[in-house]
Amino acid sequence: MNRILAPLVLATTAALLLAGCTSSERSPGLKPAPSVVVDNCGTTVTFDESPQRVLTIKSTSTEMLLALGLQKRIIGTGFQDGPVADEWAAAAGAIPEISEMVPGQEAVLEAEPDFVYAGWESNFSPEGAGERDELQALGVNTYVSPAACKEEGYKPAKLDFAEINREIAEIADIFDVEADVLLAEQKATVAAIEPDTRGLSALWYSSGTDTPYVGAGIGAPALVLDTIGLDNIAGDIDDTWSPFAWEAVVDANPDVIVLVDATWNTAASKVELLESNPATRNLDAVKNSRYLYIPFAAGEAGVRTAPAAADLAEQLKALTF
Amino acid sequence: MSDRWSSRPLAAVSKPGFDTPAPSSRATQPALVVIILGVALVLSITVAVTIGPADIRFDEVWASIASHLGVGSSPLSVLRDGIVWELRMPRVLTAGAVGAGLALSGAVMQALTRNPLADPYLLGLSSGASLGAVSVLLLGVAVLLPLAAFLGALLALAVTLLLASALGRITPTRTVLAGLAVSSLAGAVTSFVIFWTVTGDSYREILGWLLGSLSGARWPAVAIAGTAIVLVGIPIMATGRLLDSFAFGDTSAAALGVNVQGTRWALLAGTALLTGAMVSVSGSIGFVGLILPHAVRLLVGPGHRALLPLSALVGAIFLIWADTIARTIFDPRELPVGIVTALIGAPVFALLLARRRADA
Repeated sequence: MNRILAPLVLATTAALLLAGCTSSERSPGLKPAPSVVVDNCGTTVTFDESPQRVLTIKSTSTEMLLALGLQKRIIGTGFQDGPVADEWAAAAGAIPEISEMVPGQEAVLEAEPDFVYAGWESNFSPEGAGERDELQALGVNTYVSPAACKEEGYKPAKLDFAEINREIAEIADIFDVEADVLLAEQKATVAAIEPDTRGLSALWYSSGTDTPYVGAGIGAPALVLDTIGLDNIAGDIDDTWSPFAWEAVVDANPDVIVLVDATWNTAASKVELLESNPATRNLDAVKNSRYLYIPFAAGEAGVRTAPAAADLAEQLKALTF
Repeated sequence: MSDRWSSRPLAAVSKPGFDTPAPSSRATQPALVVIILGVALVLSITVAVTIGPADIRFDEVWASIASHLGVGSSPLSVLRDGIVWELRMPRVLTAGAVGAGLALSGAVMQALTRNPLADPYLLGLSSGASLGAVSVLLLGVAVLLPLAAFLGALLALAVTLLLASALGRITPTRTVLAGLAVSSLAGAVTSFVIFWTVTGDSYREILGWLLGSLSGARWPAVAIAGTAIVLVGIPIMATGRLLDSFAFGDTSAAALGVNVQGTRWALLAGTALLTGAMVSVSGSIGFVGLILPHAVRLLVGPGHRALLPLSALVGAIFLIWADTIARTIFDPRELPVGIVTALIGAPVFALLLARRRADA
């Protein structure tokens, strides 16, 4: 019964909301809001009306909507990287988690979203939430954080805050809300960061034990390190993240190590490894415990990148050499 | 006793040359070849430790190594000395031991099962070890990874042999088929665990392990792999004459006074122990155990007295260089060595096959 009624209720609600939009939010008497058409990682997505039932996959998409005050539109989340930042914890409290991992195609459709917003392109696959064109054929719009696009011509040559701000503006456009406040806040946060001038080098240690997986030259880690004035020892690698070699780490002897903290791979476990490995325990950063900490969810390109950079800059300021 | 295996399908895959005696011109050379390869192995170790992402001069590397062996003092800073002694040296030695162990195990396994497609992992060893490793890496089972991998390998072996003997006498075909069943099951459970529990980027760790990697090899790995070579590998190397008697079937082996069942059990268990130790430090490195024995056979003929030590030497040299490539070609990135062994090994083997045809 519910299953049968739900689409009907949904359609009616949408129609009412749309009617509401045209009559109150928009200037009365004018034609309805024009469709928003975006070219997202090479997929054309048309929004005839702003999404009302959003499924977010990965933390960056959830947090983007929370930052824009759109928590009421999120019907569920999947594959979250960790808890949302404190400022949004209350707003995110009521949002159900559809799946701890990437939700499967059927789970996605069962939730009846009109929009699936994912952090990675790979989230849209037959093994994951479903192919984008299949979902779109069923009337479910899809979107991937442009910073994570992999296609030639769409993949950012080197991530910058302008790229993140473009995503903020585009999402605001799709949802027909204002982004000015958030954009101003983001820009102010970045502007307030004083880059370190001590000429220090850094390793962005994301995961891995035998082979360290590190922040490389063109992604969010590179952007954050550049912003706070640290020279990335893996900065020459033309990739967002990359497998690295301990030998190269020891050879570079970075001044500080940024430790990514995830529930499945804690910063504490990384410290333990660095201190117990005979080759790395003599690194200056390890001997003097010169670590900066960043939660996993803040390490990917999104609205948390700017505040994370500010936070790391503060931590860095407290370190003495 | 009748020859029960020669008519079975897997035994029938036997390659020409596999059970025909070697041309004497080749068979008389092994002593010389062993010496040449022994020298090549020492040279390989000497040179491989001086190659890596960090730029350290040849003489500095060896002065540093000498200082750790009690001669002189290291000219390098503590950190760069660590690169040589804590990262490169144990890694090169582990590569040598693992390569030797896998090639040797492969040669023995091919002889015991009279199946040219046999490799050291045939009895479910690699999938058992992978399951043990995955349990540690992803399920957080609080056991040291090498131990878990080793126990996984032995468990898989035990199940394989139990299954094979439950079918009747342990025969090559039954062993191979039982190993296949166990491999499939352990592989499925491993995939299930990975699929079910991988979070964030934790899959990378297990991927490196499944493809085979020596990047985590430190001195404890040298101790494990080295001990296995000394205690199990060298005794196995001495069983060449015994394995030769298997070449013409169990009947003829029995006629030569060999205790066929007992010998097969002992050698299977020994090989499994050796492989289990290697897998526990390096993950499942493919190709070495399957192809290298064939390559050596193409060069020196099928006699096991020469084949076993030569396979071990070639395996050691091959894996040392494959791993050197794995850690330097995309410097400072690393590749899992299992990718390199197959990428280099397959064309080299094809070349050997082609040359052999041209010779014939």
